[in-house]
Amino acid sequence: MKKTLNINIGNSIVHIEEDAYEMLTVYLNEVKQHFARNADDFEIVTDIENRIAEMFAEMLNEQQKQVVGIFDVQSVIKQMGSVKDFETTEEGIPVDVPPIMPVYQAIKKLYRDTDQAAIAGVCAGLGHYLDVDIRWIRLVALFTVLLGGSGVLAYIILWIMIPKAETKTEKMNMRGQETTLRGFASIQLEPFVAQSKGFLAEFFEVIGNFIGGTGRIIFKIIAIFIIVTASFGLISLFIALVAFLGIWDADVNNYFPFSIINQEYFNTLAVSSFLVAGIPLLALILFSVRVAFSNRDVNKTLSFVLLIIWLGGVAPLIFYITRISSEFKEGAEFTQLTELKVYPEYTFTVDRTRFFSKEDSLSYQIDAANYKGRKILTDLDDEFKAPRSIRLWIEKSTNGKASLTQNFKSRGRNFETALKNAQGIHYDFQQKEALINFNPMVHLIRNVRWRGQEVELTVRIPVGTRLNISKELNRYLNGNNYWDCDHGSQEGFTEWIMTEEGIKCRHEVMNPENN
Amino acid sequence: MIAENTQTQMRKGILEYCVLLIISKGQIYASDIIAELKSAKLLVVEGTLYPLLTRLKNNGLLSYIWVESTSGPPRKYYVLTDEGKTILGQLDHTWLELSNAIETSKNKP
Repeated sequence: MKKTLNINIGNSIVHIEEDAYEMLTVYLNEVKQHFARNADDFEIVTDIENRIAEMFAEMLNEQQKQVVGIFDVQSVIKQMGSVKDFETTEEGIPVDVPPIMPVYQAIKKLYRDTDQAAIAGVCAGLGHYLDVDIRWIRLVALFTVLLGGSGVLAYIILWIMIPKAETKTEKMNMRGQETTLRGFASIQLEPFVAQSKGFLAEFFEVIGNFIGGTGRIIFKIIAIFIIVTASFGLISLFIALVAFLGIWDADVNNYFPFSIINQEYFNTLAVSSFLVAGIPLLALILFSVRVAFSNRDVNKTLSFVLLIIWLGGVAPLIFYITRISSEFKEGAEFTQLTELKVYPEYTFTVDRTRFFSKEDSLSYQIDAANYKGRKILTDLDDEFKAPRSIRLWIEKSTNGKASLTQNFKSRGRNFETALKNAQGIHYDFQQKEALINFNPMVHLIRNVRWRGQEVELTVRIPVGTRLNISKELNRYLNGNNYWDCDHGSQEGFTEWIMTEEGIKCRHEVMNPENN
Repeated sequence: MIAENTQTQMRKGILEYCVLLIISKGQIYASDIIAELKSAKLLVVEGTLYPLLTRLKNNGLLSYIWVESTSGPPRKYYVLTDEGKTILGQLDHTWLELSNAIETSKNKP
C-alpha cells in the first residue's frame, strides 16, 4: 500500500505515488534550475512538462494501470535525460556564462529513523543528525537511563517532538543527503520492502497498536477516572474556599494550622491557595477531555492563560508565606515563679475539665458577665487546635521550698513582638492542697497568632517529697524516662520520690534488692 | 578532450540542420522529431531538443500550431517559416560544400 497524490502536470491530472512524486519533483526542480540561465526557460520547461504528462498517459495506457509509480518516473527521466545529459549536448547557451551551481544544499533535519529503530528511532535519528555512530548515542542514552532514569523522560519527550522520517525526501534530509536525483539514486539501492526492525521495535509497535486500538478504551476509562477525581477535588476546593471566606471571624482561625496566619492575610491567602491548587486540577480536566475525547491539540492560548493565573496565585502565596515566616525570626521569653505550699506527698494530674477564665469567655465568645462557674472540657487528644507545647521538668529544690516556674516562650519579628506573643499565652494550673492540676493545653489570647509559643514548666520540690504522677502527664515530662517506672499501687499513676540525685522511681528506692 | 569537443561541435551543427530538415517535410510533433533523430542516432535524450526548438522558433525559423490530440491535451506541431525555408536552403548549400570539402580531403591521394 502506498499513498498517492493527484498532480496537475501539462494540464492533465495524474495519480502518482508519493515516492514517485518526490522523485519527479526533484527532477523537475533540477531541470528548472538548469534552464533558469536560458531566456526561454518557462517555455522549455512547459514543453518538457507537457511531454512528461504525455509519456505518463502512454505508460498508464500501455500498462493498464491508474497510478504512476517510481519506475515510470525513472523511465521518463531516462528518456528525457537528466541535467547531466543536457550539459554534454548543450545547445544555445553561451559558454562564457558560468554555470550556476545548483542551490540545493544538503539540508540536515532531525527525524526519527524508524528503519533502524530499537524503540522509536530517536537515537538513530540523533545519530544521523550529529553524525555519530548510533551505538554511541545508544550507549549515552542507556547511561542516562541508569543514571536516575532521566533518559526515559527525555526519550519520551523526543519521541513526541521529533517527527518520523516517512518519505524519501525526509529520509534524505535526515541523513543530510542532497535532495537531488543522485541522492535518490543512492537511496534506491536500499530495498523498498521495510527492513526487519528488530525485536524491540516490533514489540513497541505491537504496544503502539494496542494503545491505538483496544488500549484506547482503557485509556478513555483512565481519562474519565482522572476527570471525575479532578472535578471532585476542584469542587471540594471551591467549597473550602467559600467556607473559609464565609466563616472568617469564626473559630477556625484559632485552630492550629490557621492560627499561624495573620488575620489580614487570610482572604488573599485563601484565594491564592485555591488558585495554586485548583488551576492544575482544572488543567488536568481540560487536557484529559481534549486528549481522550476530541483528538484536538491542546489550545496553547488556554494553557498560557492558565499558567498566568496559576503564577498569579503563586506570587502572593510566596509573598505572604515569606512575610509570615519572617515573624518567627526573633525569640523572647519571660518567667513567672509560683510558690507551692509544702506537702510531703503531691499528686500531679492533668485536668481536662477546668473553670472558665475571663480570657476563655472571650475566646469562646461566651458572655463575659456569665462565665463564672462554667466548665469546659478539653479533649486531650485534640492536638489539631494547638500544637503540644508544654514541657514539664521535675527537679530538686535547694531551699526546702516547693515552687513551680512557668517559662513562656515565643517568637516574633523582633524581640518586642516576640515578647508580646509570649504574653499572649494563656496557661494555668491549679493547686488544691497536695493536688496539682495541669492544664493539658496552651491557649492563645484572642488575636494573638501562633508564633511557636511554648510553656516550660519546672516543678522544684524538696528532697524526700513523694510524688504520684498521672500517666497522662508522661507525654509532657522531660529529663527522665517516666515510662519505665510502672509499679504504682494506684491505677493510672506512677509513684516517685525526690532524692539527692534527683527524682527516682519509688519502687526502686524502696526495693533496691530488685535491681 | 579535443576530439570530444570537436565531436560535440559537429553534432551540434548537424543536429540543428537535421531538425530543420525533418520539419521541412511537413508539420511535425516534437516527439516524432525525437523519434527520427533517435533513429538517425543524433540524439540520445529528449530533453535537449526542447531548448533547441525554442531557440529556432525565437529566431523566426520555426513556428508551431496547436493540434487537438485524441489522447490528452493539444500538442505543439512545428512547421518551417518562410525564413526557415530560406535558411534551410542556405544550409543545404553549406552542407554540400562541407560534404565536398570532406570528400576532397579524404580522397586526395
